[in-house]
Amino acid sequence: MKRSIRLPFQLTAAASLVLSASHALTAEDEAYTPLALQLPGTAVLAAAGNRVELGLSHTSDDNFMFGQYNGLHENGVNLIGNLQWQDFSAEDSYWQVSLSDLGLDTREGLATWARPGRLKFRVGFDSQLQVRNDSGRTPFRGDDRLLLPDNWTSGLSTADWDQLPGSLHGFERELERDKLFAEIEASLNDHWSLDSHLSYESREGTGDIGGAIAPDRSAGDAVLLPLPVDYRTTELDLGLAYRGSALSVEGRVAYSDFDNKNEILTWQNPYSSFGPRVAYPSGTGGLGLAPDNDQRSARLTGVYVLSPYARLQFDGSYALNSQDQDYLEYSANGNLLAPESLPRANLDGEVAVTQFGGKLLLRPLPKLDLNGFYRYRERDYDVPRDGYRYIRGDGQNQPRAALTVYNSARDYESETLGGEASYRLPLRSRLRFEYAFEQIDRKNAAVDHTEEDRYTLGYRIQPWSQFSANIELLYGDRQADTYQWDQSYYALLDTELINATPDNQRYINHPELSQFFLSNREQQEVKLDLSYLPGANWNLALNLLWHEDDYDKSELGLTETDWQRLNLSASYAPGSDISLTVYGGFDRFESEQSSRAFRGGQEKDAFTIYPPLPQASDPGRNWDLDSKDDSFTLGAQLTWQASEALSLALDYSFVDTTAEQRLTTFDDGLVASDLPDVDTTLHHLEAVGSWVVREGLDLQLHYQYYRFKTDDWAREGVQTDTIGKLLTFGDRNANEQIHYVGASVTYHWQ
Amino acid sequence: MAGFNNKGVAICCGALLLVFSLAGNAQCLDCHGVEDDPAVARLSGAVHGKLPGDEENCIACHGTSDNHVDSLGDESPDVSFGPNWKSPAPDRAASCQSCHEGQNHRLWSGSAHEQENLACDDCHNAHQQADLATASHQAEQLCLGCHPRVRSELNLPSRHPIREGKTACTDCHDPHGSLGEASLKQLSVNDNCLSCHEDKRGPFLWEHTPATEDCSTCHRPHGSMHERLLTARSPALCQQCHAAAFHPSLPYGGEGLPGGAPSQYLLGKSCLNCHSQIHGSNHPSGARLIR
Repeated sequence: MKRSIRLPFQLTAAASLVLSASHALTAEDEAYTPLALQLPGTAVLAAAGNRVELGLSHTSDDNFMFGQYNGLHENGVNLIGNLQWQDFSAEDSYWQVSLSDLGLDTREGLATWARPGRLKFRVGFDSQLQVRNDSGRTPFRGDDRLLLPDNWTSGLSTADWDQLPGSLHGFERELERDKLFAEIEASLNDHWSLDSHLSYESREGTGDIGGAIAPDRSAGDAVLLPLPVDYRTTELDLGLAYRGSALSVEGRVAYSDFDNKNEILTWQNPYSSFGPRVAYPSGTGGLGLAPDNDQRSARLTGVYVLSPYARLQFDGSYALNSQDQDYLEYSANGNLLAPESLPRANLDGEVAVTQFGGKLLLRPLPKLDLNGFYRYRERDYDVPRDGYRYIRGDGQNQPRAALTVYNSARDYESETLGGEASYRLPLRSRLRFEYAFEQIDRKNAAVDHTEEDRYTLGYRIQPWSQFSANIELLYGDRQADTYQWDQSYYALLDTELINATPDNQRYINHPELSQFFLSNREQQEVKLDLSYLPGANWNLALNLLWHEDDYDKSELGLTETDWQRLNLSASYAPGSDISLTVYGGFDRFESEQSSRAFRGGQEKDAFTIYPPLPQASDPGRNWDLDSKDDSFTLGAQLTWQASEALSLALDYSFVDTTAEQRLTTFDDGLVASDLPDVDTTLHHLEAVGSWVVREGLDLQLHYQYYRFKTDDWAREGVQTDTIGKLLTFGDRNANEQIHYVGASVTYHWQ
Repeated sequence: MAGFNNKGVAICCGALLLVFSLAGNAQCLDCHGVEDDPAVARLSGAVHGKLPGDEENCIACHGTSDNHVDSLGDESPDVSFGPNWKSPAPDRAASCQSCHEGQNHRLWSGSAHEQENLACDDCHNAHQQADLATASHQAEQLCLGCHPRVRSELNLPSRHPIREGKTACTDCHDPHGSLGEASLKQLSVNDNCLSCHEDKRGPFLWEHTPATEDCSTCHRPHGSMHERLLTARSPALCQQCHAAAFHPSLPYGGEGLPGGAPSQYLLGKSCLNCHSQIHGSNHPSGARLIR
């Protein structure tokens, strides 16, 4: 990766000097005021009170990006229906009911009855719909047991399937969440209160998933499949809170149950590879789906006021996640031989997650704040370790015992200890320093122990009431234990196989690879936030961020990331009836990674160099990938009360992104050309005009223009049969131009 | 006898306070009539107009404000939320916390927002039943005013339904203070994510360690240019941590696209064409996360 100019860093350094100089000036010691809050209003809140809105809308075309979450993914007419009703006429209680998006699959509702400060009941529902790219097609029929048409003609490759074009049919990739909930809050007396929440959520629809018939790692036949989703989640919690003069604490117990109605997704193998027992028509693949599980947890959160200048905060939780769903068979293909039975009927596993956070806040001097903090997180597994004579990819008989694989616990423990001091200085400034030390221990991982020191220095100043600046510098240094590249090999495989393998070949990943979340890292970050109010009607803001992670000891794997962000915004509100905000942002994320292309066998010896150079120990087989993701955002929001009867709100956003991937190889025999850039462009305009027809009656006109286009190479020119050993959906890139118009009438009353 | 006297004193004091309170309200409404002051008018349709005891109990939040009354409004009330006067943020926050600290606001002191000298009324309006902070469909506008870096991420092609109000900033973050990182409601990133994605909770027979440790190793929750909120495209993302012999260690470039030799390791779902159980597998043959 080329060194990019550190513009944000330089700006920050320069700004720091200017601000430090200005700090030498003295001024009255007034309170700091966050100027960002002085932005003129950019969002309009619907008026409180009773109202009902009814109308119709029209969406101009089917789509899956515009309507990804808003329920407007289909061409046609929809009902606009919203209701807000409240009754405060009773002496000491009130009612509120709200219903929104009644004509859409994203509808929601809430009813509340309360006696303020004493008792509150809430019941409601919330429906969500997520649609994904639905332009793909598949030859498979069925839900969780996918079959091919009767006249299917098989072959070794997708190009051989004569019946494929005529067998394809579209399917909707939609996921619908419907949640019902009920809540109660009760104040028992001046000190004690109680609350409880109950919810039931269903998630139904169709996703997508890849499946492969693969007898070994060098051969496999893959298909993309419609994934049936039929989940149920039930959750209940009960909280009890105490509030005294010094102690305020809340205890909560909770139960969460996840139930997946589908255990397995099977598909008929459309390929004719790997012999008649695996090939079409009798060959079958089977994917295990998310297992049922439950979680029981308890949490204690509170604060203890030691004195007017000292308080202790704490938040600890313990959760037990359990999973005992019965295992599937080794293979969904009954033609394959599996004489060795499963070691147990189910995992019957638990993982206990213990977490704690504590903070001691002190104010020893009026202008000095100190705090010390501690965080702890542990994942403690209680799972039996067994050997599994697994059948690889439903493509072969059960292998010999030496190829048994073993599951292992992934225990994890992290502790963070640190302290922070901040001191308020003249010119409404504050200097802050924080130090944190974190150590993480892992079991059965390539690195047992990491330690990290993090230093943060912040300075905030408001030399004038119209200007404020905030600078923050962070430096982190993570040290990792020796990278045990053979650890995963020992944890996974059988001793017979391990003993039969030469010492220097006992690895899965290349020995010079370091997984970035485990490896040494030097981290730097600079943030600068400037706010300026040049006049009573203006607000300007500049925000810069530069963040770098340098995995300085890593030879292969992710070696460096660099993130630069620039945001600007300007707001103008010449009067209470009009406000305009314009904002823009540029975001660049760059990463460098390396790897070494190598084959197995004798050539896996990474530590012996002898002619000819084996691939694993030949740096000439290295390759580098530099990625760069740029995004540019521009937006404007306008609210205008043109007259007593007429108001207008506009919201426009433009987003342009480019993803680059540049590959470099160092061996003539290793060919990898750059991938095409992926560009996306979005224009989205929302306009709402409101006209007061008469007192209590408004007419609203809604309009949205949505334009989204991408040229992702993953879909460009890829048909269902483009790839010989992979059946895809052949879905197209999004290229949407949507007009949405709506008209509604709102009736208000008190 | 002593007990009786104490009780009598307490009753008398309480009665006097009530009288003063009512008198205070009466005085408030003399100047801040419902017709003259829209802020007061809104209060009648809001929870704070229904507090137990006395309707429109102004002094509960603003204090007795004797100087304000005596000066006929020339001086500030004891606690004022603007626009004419604005009390210091700690005073304004303390006024609200006198009732609300016992709820989920007990970690407010020392929180990121408290450190920025914010008070409750910077986000909430006690005189309105609905304010931006509690209206989930627009609440993000309030947050983005001070957190502009997030704004661009929320418009990226892969995102949570925040624009649509189906996911609120406060579903993951607690603006009132937290002891977790980034003011998260839960104590870890994963607990936040798994509170909606329970299907990935496990434990699984075969786990994928980064997924159990920290979802943000691979995902960017505010939005991403890449599908599924991923930090990078696959196969590059997977190859940041995997370089096993044969296909995992090979570079995949433009020659694997249509027109060349279309590659099953690059196109479709890339690595996930086969290793689809990336969050863990409970299948006895799922050691390689392909079942």
